[in-house]
Amino acid sequence: MEGASYQRFPTVKIREMKDDYCKFELRDTDASMANALRRVMIAEVPTIAIDLVEIETNSSVLNDEFIAHRLGLIPLKSERAMSMRFSRDCDACDGDGQCEFCSVEFHLRARCIDEQTLEVTSKDLYSSDHTVVPVDFSQASGVESNEQRGIIIVKLRKGQELRLRAIARKGIGKDHAKWSPAATVTFMYEPEIHINEEMMDKLSLEEKKSWVASSPSKVFDINPDTQQVLIVDPEAYAYDEEVIKKAEAMGKPGLVEIYAKEDSFIFTVESTGAIKASQLLLNAIEILKQKLDAVRLSEDTVEADDQFGELGVHMRGG
Amino acid sequence: MDPPPEPVSYICGDCGMENTLKQGDVIQCRECGYRILYKKRTRRIVQYEAR
Repeated sequence: MEGASYQRFPTVKIREMKDDYCKFELRDTDASMANALRRVMIAEVPTIAIDLVEIETNSSVLNDEFIAHRLGLIPLKSERAMSMRFSRDCDACDGDGQCEFCSVEFHLRARCIDEQTLEVTSKDLYSSDHTVVPVDFSQASGVESNEQRGIIIVKLRKGQELRLRAIARKGIGKDHAKWSPAATVTFMYEPEIHINEEMMDKLSLEEKKSWVASSPSKVFDINPDTQQVLIVDPEAYAYDEEVIKKAEAMGKPGLVEIYAKEDSFIFTVESTGAIKASQLLLNAIEILKQKLDAVRLSEDTVEADDQFGELGVHMRGG
Repeated sequence: MDPPPEPVSYICGDCGMENTLKQGDVIQCRECGYRILYKKRTRRIVQYEAR
């Protein structure tokens, strides 16, 4: 098919948006695009996380490795990550990963001096960069706590001490899950539900009730006035086909037909707090575009040779 | 030749007393005679990858 264009213009419609949560519709595209977007959000949008820990003193009950691992998993505010350098291709510090362009330093000093157990939390981490700090959930969580509590790293008994220096670096979820900005990213096909009204009208109220109840999620309901079956929430349908099986069991095949719209997706994005859910989507699209640029330019590698080094950076998620 | 090995201090597992031991010494607490001694943590900084 010469000259045939498969170009489409996908649209995004945002339904709900909070700092750490976002629900949107992606239309006029296919599953490959939807899944690419989902995967990029999870594994290729960069964030900043602690990557190196230098422990001076640790007399806590947790061993050094355990604490280092816990520190790595603390989500850090990463608005800066997109413009930061990966330490492996930072030329300001020949790859030792300890300069201002590619790393952020943290200090932690805690010692328990009284009988009460001391909780060392992410709030005890002191950052060298005020834009890169551990995420703060205290306002976001609805529970009114009298004290501002961070993420507990370790608990100290009287006399125990923890002193360390940590280096945070930019990275992507593909290298280690601690860099993933996404808690969950899911998408579903938008369902298209057709009730055969003619058949439905012939059912008794009892039959309607038992058919409506056969769905594990609340997709259908009965109008109390007209006693008609109506669709209350098509998106609650989990493609379980229970209502279809029920209709067949009742001897009414074709009572309902449900199709998945193959060019319409409903996304749910939950962020770890490292970046806002909305920014996560924007960054993911940006990275996808960079990856596509690399593919586009690779056909004439010779002409584009000097640009190729830079594209390699993009391919790795920069 | 190597410099003579430095005596290393250990902590008794029973009474908590600090003992200094040299090569060839009997592993036993000088205070209480307990035979389990623990080596102290290094004073140096130790580095780990947070992975």
